[in-house]
Amino acid sequence: MSKRIDVHHVTRVEGHGNIVVEVADSQLKECRFDVVETPRFFEAMLRGRPYTEASHITSRICGICATGHATTSLRASEKALGIQPSQQTVLLRKLSFHGEILDSHILHVYMLVAPDFLGVGSVIPLASSHPEVVLRALRMKKLSGDMCAIVTGRHTHPIAMTVGGFTHFPKRAELESLRQRLEEVRADVDATVELFASLPWPQFERDTEYISLTKPDEYAFIDGEIKSSDGVKLPIESYQKVTNEYLVPHSSAKFTRFQRESYMVGALARFNNNFDQLHPRAKAAAVALGMKPKVTNTYLNSGAQVVEIVHCVEDAILIINQLLEMGVNPEELVPPTRQSGDGVGACEVPRGILFHHYWIGEDGNLTGANCIIPTNQNIANLEADMRVLVPQIMHKPIDAMRLDLEMMVRAYDPCISCSVHVAKLVTR
Amino acid sequence: METGTLVIGIGNPLQGDDGLGACAIQMLANEVLPAGVQIEELGTPGWGLVNFLQGWQRVILIDAVCMGEEPGTLRRLEKDEIQLVASDPVRSLHEPGLAESLSLAQTLGLLPDEIVLYGVEPACIQPGGELSPAVRQAVTPLVKQILGELWKKTRTPNGSC
Repeated sequence: MSKRIDVHHVTRVEGHGNIVVEVADSQLKECRFDVVETPRFFEAMLRGRPYTEASHITSRICGICATGHATTSLRASEKALGIQPSQQTVLLRKLSFHGEILDSHILHVYMLVAPDFLGVGSVIPLASSHPEVVLRALRMKKLSGDMCAIVTGRHTHPIAMTVGGFTHFPKRAELESLRQRLEEVRADVDATVELFASLPWPQFERDTEYISLTKPDEYAFIDGEIKSSDGVKLPIESYQKVTNEYLVPHSSAKFTRFQRESYMVGALARFNNNFDQLHPRAKAAAVALGMKPKVTNTYLNSGAQVVEIVHCVEDAILIINQLLEMGVNPEELVPPTRQSGDGVGACEVPRGILFHHYWIGEDGNLTGANCIIPTNQNIANLEADMRVLVPQIMHKPIDAMRLDLEMMVRAYDPCISCSVHVAKLVTR
Repeated sequence: METGTLVIGIGNPLQGDDGLGACAIQMLANEVLPAGVQIEELGTPGWGLVNFLQGWQRVILIDAVCMGEEPGTLRRLEKDEIQLVASDPVRSLHEPGLAESLSLAQTLGLLPDEIVLYGVEPACIQPGGELSPAVRQAVTPLVKQILGELWKKTRTPNGSC
């Protein structure tokens, strides 16, 4: 039996990646996920630019994780310059961050994952066969975008967030109306859980190392410590001990490994590492989805995203309550306590842990930057999953194998456009 | 019946000439616009574009479009032509492209009555924050033409047409 699967440009992921699998005489000969996008030189673009511009530049890396990149960027600059943001700033950032997590997860589970389960090739036929499903997704997506816009001044590419605070503040009436809409969206959230709990998730088990941020008092999205499911915690500043980036010839993205041959980041890693801190309604959603940590079925990364949708809606309501209780008032930006230095920001963006490390010179310009993106960190793990998956599915017709592999890639919700930052492509 | 016009700039300003949409919207922000006209710079909205199309009588999109013309060439494309340009994966720069977002909107009955795309042929879609000279030169006439279109169908502030 010999089969070769060569999926050029896997669809329904952000960016361009290829699956290459070759089976000969029932033996796996080749199994790769090639990242073929042109490298993007964001770190080089940051050098020589004022730190106040860095969040606006990096927010343009991605149309999906714009708030995630901006927040991580702000935290890197703030740590470099010894700035401690106010409680109000922290809460507003959390609120817009939840908006983006919701936006991205809704997009992924409904537009990119659901078509596989519902037997349609993409979201457009889904809109014909199940219009109510797509309209629900768009409704929820609109609310999450509006959440970002109310706090950060626009839907994507936040404009009002800056180093040391905000330049625009949501009005009480806006927050009250947002809270009401979040309460009303619970019906859509429940329907989402019900839909995804009814889907036949593919069977697959492979234990790996799960890496995420963690915090003592909340389900971590911004700041905290790095946690491995294998039982190590490290400060954010030691990120390079975790990522250990290395190059492989077939990918223009860097690979990473920590204590095993690969590790996984993203919703499933957060779910496994920080399950106890999820909102009770999110925990109930996990029960409905049949998920209990530690979940080692990679396909259920999308299930963990559904759980996080529930968590973020509920937690956003709690944050708004807190903001309304305190009253949101215009604040001056917190000034730097030193003029230069280096700092590491880390956030759990939709696809996993993101690091920005900046070096800021006396003139306020960046002298260096290192951005390590979640998709990079997952590629080695994806290949390891594929090596286990292929022998289990190699008896299937080639189209069915291809679909299983594509679904595996999509489970990671990869954002390949962001992940590529090394000018090293091998052609043959 | 829906009213009003939304002008949307699309594209990534970190990718050279793909920053055209953002640049044009910045210029429009400094102009006097007729009542009922809003402008929005959306970056790379993907499927999110669908949500912005709802509730407007007319939507004008601005984007860098590979049309096989000389760099800097400006074209005004109407509904049918947009579908043609955008459904070609080589020509559409964003994923999901305009084609997918527009056909999703169409399937769901959310497409505005009037939709127009102002496309400018890019010279360079590479990492870098600057527009190429050819595209930079096209921005002023582009903004002028859009302003002309906006004012043509809308009553002027003093009440005459």
